[in-house]
Amino acid sequence: MKPILTIFKKEFKDITRDRRSMMMMFIIPMLLFPLLFTIAAVFTARQTEKVRTKTLEVALITQGNAEAFREILLKRDDLKIREDITEDIIPQLIRSDSIDAAIRIDEQFDAQISDLQRGQIHLYFKSSRDMAASRNRLTSLIRDYENQIVNDRFQRLSLDRTIVDPVQVRRHDIASPRERIGKSVGGFLPYIFVLMCFMGCMYPALDLGAGEKERATLETLLVAPVSKIQILLGKCGVIVLSGFASIANSFIGFFIAVMLQREIVARILDALQGMFEISSILLVLSLCLPLTIFFAAALMSVSIFAKSFKEAQSIMAPLNIIIIIPVFIGLLPGIELNAITSLIPVLNVSLASKEIFAGTIKLPLLLEVYASLIALAALSLYGCARWFERESTIFRET
Amino acid sequence: MVIAKNIVKTFKLSRQQKREMGDGFQGNTIDAVCDISFTCQPGRVFALLGPNGAGKTTTLRMIATMLKPTSGSISVAEYDTVTQSQAVRENLGFLTGNTGLYDRLTPNEMVRYFADLHGMNSVDYNTRRDHLFALLDMEAFANRRIGKLSTGMKQKVSIVRTIIHDPEVIVFDEPTAGLDVVTSRNIVHLIRDCRDAGKTVIFSTHRMGEVSLLSNDLAIIHKGQLQFNGTFEDFQNQMQTSTLEDEFIRIVEQA
Repeated sequence: MKPILTIFKKEFKDITRDRRSMMMMFIIPMLLFPLLFTIAAVFTARQTEKVRTKTLEVALITQGNAEAFREILLKRDDLKIREDITEDIIPQLIRSDSIDAAIRIDEQFDAQISDLQRGQIHLYFKSSRDMAASRNRLTSLIRDYENQIVNDRFQRLSLDRTIVDPVQVRRHDIASPRERIGKSVGGFLPYIFVLMCFMGCMYPALDLGAGEKERATLETLLVAPVSKIQILLGKCGVIVLSGFASIANSFIGFFIAVMLQREIVARILDALQGMFEISSILLVLSLCLPLTIFFAAALMSVSIFAKSFKEAQSIMAPLNIIIIIPVFIGLLPGIELNAITSLIPVLNVSLASKEIFAGTIKLPLLLEVYASLIALAALSLYGCARWFERESTIFRET
Repeated sequence: MVIAKNIVKTFKLSRQQKREMGDGFQGNTIDAVCDISFTCQPGRVFALLGPNGAGKTTTLRMIATMLKPTSGSISVAEYDTVTQSQAVRENLGFLTGNTGLYDRLTPNEMVRYFADLHGMNSVDYNTRRDHLFALLDMEAFANRRIGKLSTGMKQKVSIVRTIIHDPEVIVFDEPTAGLDVVTSRNIVHLIRDCRDAGKTVIFSTHRMGEVSLLSNDLAIIHKGQLQFNGTFEDFQNQMQTSTLEDEFIRIVEQA
């Protein structure tokens, strides 16, 4: 046990002096969420404000129809109505951003409306611009006008509007806010945590395996009176610690982000507080521990096999994508934690985290997830140890 | 003492390695070391000579327990390298030419790390550390990061790291390769000091000057096979050319 601790302490000291590893352990996980939240909040607020307050320049061709609608449009401060534009140049003006949109009313519009028929209003816009804000604002005005016509018609015919609206649907969602948000946010969070955990393991694994080979320090270590399994456990311990620190720091980063953006998340803050009870966090962290051991052993196997830091990096980079696939599957609708998905590594952590945050986790499934993750961690460590024992792995250049 | 008896080391070749061997090569394995026997005595320096790829490093790695012989046996300080590898490593110091050090540690931390791995207690460590640091004039940079030290300073750290636990057997694998004259001299002094202290010293080299300067016994190895094994005097007595270097080349070419 003492040699393992000696190696662990030395590797820990060494890693804490490595800027890249420290970035992956502390800086990036802690800053990721606050940065993401802040950028999203600032960007959304700015865009919403811009779209809401912008004066739209709209061409209007009424051909003597819909005078009431024309009045509505002309009275609005946020619209600049131009009635000097002909129909044929509308597409060209919108395409060149000279105007934002155009409204053309059919020649027979008034006649059709008074005959209780359907009249046509043409709305021209460019959906690729301003996130379809012009279309939405003008559609809303047209809807108001349509509503006015409908009310007039019902009055003319002395009918009650409920006659065309016989069914009223009233939704009663039994799911608590915690469940609703837990199932969505709880699915997104493991996506970040698993990625952070993997990245947190990756740099120390690169340094402690391939890096040690490249620096020719591995030989000196192999001649010390310690077994290879002790060397491996000491090194893997530091990799696990680094991966785990990345997850823990991601949590801290998430809370900082929530605190910083209090106004934006005010609606869901109560639910979030329910979700992130200390017991939920500890449960999710405890699920991440065997997963981190699995990552550490798998990455260490790659690292010790590679001849150089660069080779190890080129093997590890595509693994990022492989890891993300099960997490992504966990985000798909209809994928639930069951007896089979509980056995699939990474996916089980993603689904179980979702259930834990939503407060709907079932104990037998949770135990199955633990059992499969612990078995996986043990197997990967055993495999890594066997791999490390092979002369052809360590002295691959010979 | 180190006794190697009929050691053979066979490596399995990868597809790429087979291609590199050329079309004439048959088989899936290569014998890096073929049936080699030798003895290294305490208080004597044993030089292992051979051109690049002769099998020197493989032989030394087998002595240091990093590789297992395919057949044959090696005993180091009376311990078998396969069945008692841990005990062998406790009694062995191993220094390579390309100094393997941790750049982010200081010399103090580096040496302490290896002392701890050898299970040294604090009193023994402090006494030995103070003695070696004073001997090699290392106190001035003992707390500086190794990455910021000169090659000579790094070599000193390597030396202390190798002998901090006062091993019975010390193996040097091309210890002066790529080093300047001053740093090489430190190594030569160290080898002599170890010999005078009654240690068993093995070193591999292809510099004949070092051989004549240091070795008591020598073995010449080429293509994994032993071409000469005896004392330095024996070697000099049976020389057919005028210089050591010419004689070494003659033996290798004759093989």
